[in-house]
Amino acid sequence: MTRTRTPGISRRSTLALMGAGAMTFAAPWVARAQAKTIKIGMPTILSGRVAQLGTSSRNAVMLEVEKVNAAGGLAGRQIEMVIRDSKGQPQEAARVARELVNTDGCELLIDAEASSGAFAVHEVARDLGVFCIHTNSETSALTADPKQHIPNAFRTARQGVHDSIVGGSYAAAIAKAKGLKKWATCSPDYAYGRDTTAEFTLYLKRFAPEVEIISESWPKLFQPDYTEVVTKILQAKPQALYSCLWGGDLTSYIDQANIYAMFGQMEVFAVNMADYTALTVVKNLPKGIHSGNRYIKTFPATPENAAWGDAYKAKYNEYPTNWSWENATAIMLMAEAAKKANSADGKKIAEALKGLTIKCPFGADGTVTMRGDDHTLVGYAIGWGTTIPQEPYVPEVKAGDWKTIFELEAEWKKSKGYT
Amino acid sequence: MTELEAGRAQTLVPARGGTALRRYRDVLIALIAFAVLASLPLFTGSKALLDFVIRCSAYGLFATSLNLLVGYTGLTSFGHGMFFGLGAYSFGLIMQKLGVPIPIAFVATLAITAMVAAVIGAICVRLKEIYFAFVTLAFQMLIHSTILSWASFTGGDQGLRGGIPRPAFLGIDLSNHVHLYVTSCALLILGLLAMRQIAQSPFGYTLRMIRDNAARASFLGIDVWRAKLTVFVLAALFASMGGMVMALFVSGAYPEFAYWTISGEAIFINMLGGVSTFLGPMVGTVLLLLLNDTVTRFTEYHGIVLGVVILFFALGLRKGLLDFVAEWYAYRRDAGEGR
Repeated sequence: MTRTRTPGISRRSTLALMGAGAMTFAAPWVARAQAKTIKIGMPTILSGRVAQLGTSSRNAVMLEVEKVNAAGGLAGRQIEMVIRDSKGQPQEAARVARELVNTDGCELLIDAEASSGAFAVHEVARDLGVFCIHTNSETSALTADPKQHIPNAFRTARQGVHDSIVGGSYAAAIAKAKGLKKWATCSPDYAYGRDTTAEFTLYLKRFAPEVEIISESWPKLFQPDYTEVVTKILQAKPQALYSCLWGGDLTSYIDQANIYAMFGQMEVFAVNMADYTALTVVKNLPKGIHSGNRYIKTFPATPENAAWGDAYKAKYNEYPTNWSWENATAIMLMAEAAKKANSADGKKIAEALKGLTIKCPFGADGTVTMRGDDHTLVGYAIGWGTTIPQEPYVPEVKAGDWKTIFELEAEWKKSKGYT
Repeated sequence: MTELEAGRAQTLVPARGGTALRRYRDVLIALIAFAVLASLPLFTGSKALLDFVIRCSAYGLFATSLNLLVGYTGLTSFGHGMFFGLGAYSFGLIMQKLGVPIPIAFVATLAITAMVAAVIGAICVRLKEIYFAFVTLAFQMLIHSTILSWASFTGGDQGLRGGIPRPAFLGIDLSNHVHLYVTSCALLILGLLAMRQIAQSPFGYTLRMIRDNAARASFLGIDVWRAKLTVFVLAALFASMGGMVMALFVSGAYPEFAYWTISGEAIFINMLGGVSTFLGPMVGTVLLLLLNDTVTRFTEYHGIVLGVVILFFALGLRKGLLDFVAEWYAYRRDAGEGR
């Protein structure tokens, strides 16, 4: 067969190429269209097992950004959020953060990454000198370790050591009152689980020296079956159990432990229980589980907090998470700092943010403060209470005392060689 | 030189020049490629483009080194990422704990990788096909678990924190973005050139023979085990280089670098680019990173898009892109010659 013509690039390919070319040239124009707005970049996890971290962070940020924009923006500049998925991979988090600053022209960063991703973005902030607020990493070292300290990075997430101090003192009081001496622990086998459990038991023993840990279980993160863990704990016959399982792990654990009627046999302290992601998902929420507050609209019991929780629910048809309040607080603080500095410039915001106290629905006394010396949030609502199976789930929360927290935190920092 | 010798030399010169040109063709291409890459910052101020090339260097070295095993030797390793992670961690830890000059840390990391790879390889390369694949995967998980559990040394699942110090050496300051970029390009080109030399050497052809018929190679007097082990260690060295470039880029090392997904990405890159040409994995790297970077800009449902692309390559082309292009080119040439 002889061909009459040599086939070149087909019409379809030509059209596709032209389309791709047009997109390439159009993209920078679209990006440049709104120069007066200020872009805030936000790398976070929007896919995979912990996608809820990203979506509930994004929801809260958008809720607050709308308010700020309606009130005139960040020092007169409308905020435009550029939110991008890092898939929970630190190298992607670093890449996305750099791309947001270098290509998309973001002048400020909200780092809504978890654990290792937050440290990767922290290095980008160090490298580029861009203003950055970490909103989801609770790892104490991120701000407590002076090696990590840079002038342009802050944290509005709760801090692991704060939770442990409050949890330890609360649990010790109950241990003394009820004579709980034999304790078991059951926490996920990764840095957060190990560190938080170690710190909790440290403070528990400090306030109640007679306590003894008789059994430790370390299920894998995202483990589907907890039978062996549950039976191991039941065999050890402890009087109380501590767990920092969270999210889906905690709910599966409770559902499976319910089969063995575990919750009638011991006092359970699950620091991450009082979060709607766990409370609303558990099939039969046992009565009387002790939990730290993650986010709950009834604590602090103020109209502002309830209104914020309801507004979020009305807009997104689900309750906010712990990550939501942490991210909302970041926007609130940035807006106040920009107002104080009368500028949306990262350096000036950073300067104004140091030691800044603002009115905030999530504050223990209606305010939160960005501590000046280590750039981390203090004064947020922190407390423990017991669950009931229906709303409001945790009717009474006993607030932690920030004076005690500060004292013990300073001591802890010294013991770690941070000060 | 006698007259006779001079005359002979004259006749030999053109021929020698021809082979020399052929012999040094790869070096020439490498030099040109390096010149083009290194001069990029002069023409563009786009940091994103430089970042892209740095990441291409890291993944390119890693994926091409895997191709030495997969494409040339027929050893499908599922655990090649362990050497990527090992490189990143060794380099990061040496720099953080010892504070030695960067070139020393670089060489020391290669030495550590070689030792680890020799031990792991000695166990693995005895096995074939799926057994080889799974034992390499098992070793990778072992290294990954070690990184996670040895938290006091490696930082556990939070990774190496606090940044990797980069003292300047020989006038090169790797905390400067352009310096880091040029250094990454240099490492990439040198690495590729070295791997090309390996692939084109008699040893490289021995590997191809082992891939096609190991029994025959054995009967011809080749120590198959030794050849496989050698290439396993060599491939590990280049993967480790890739890991070091990545560690420098993110200024840290994270357990994800040693997780099985990173090996999966390298295999995917090889599938995308093709394993029958030397530059296939490099093309695959550029494709995957380009795809990843553009798709994540527009949607968080990147998994769907990547899945469709995999399907397209697996079911549509049935080979990597460069394989497809090479075959198409050969077909066109043959058609042109009227064959």
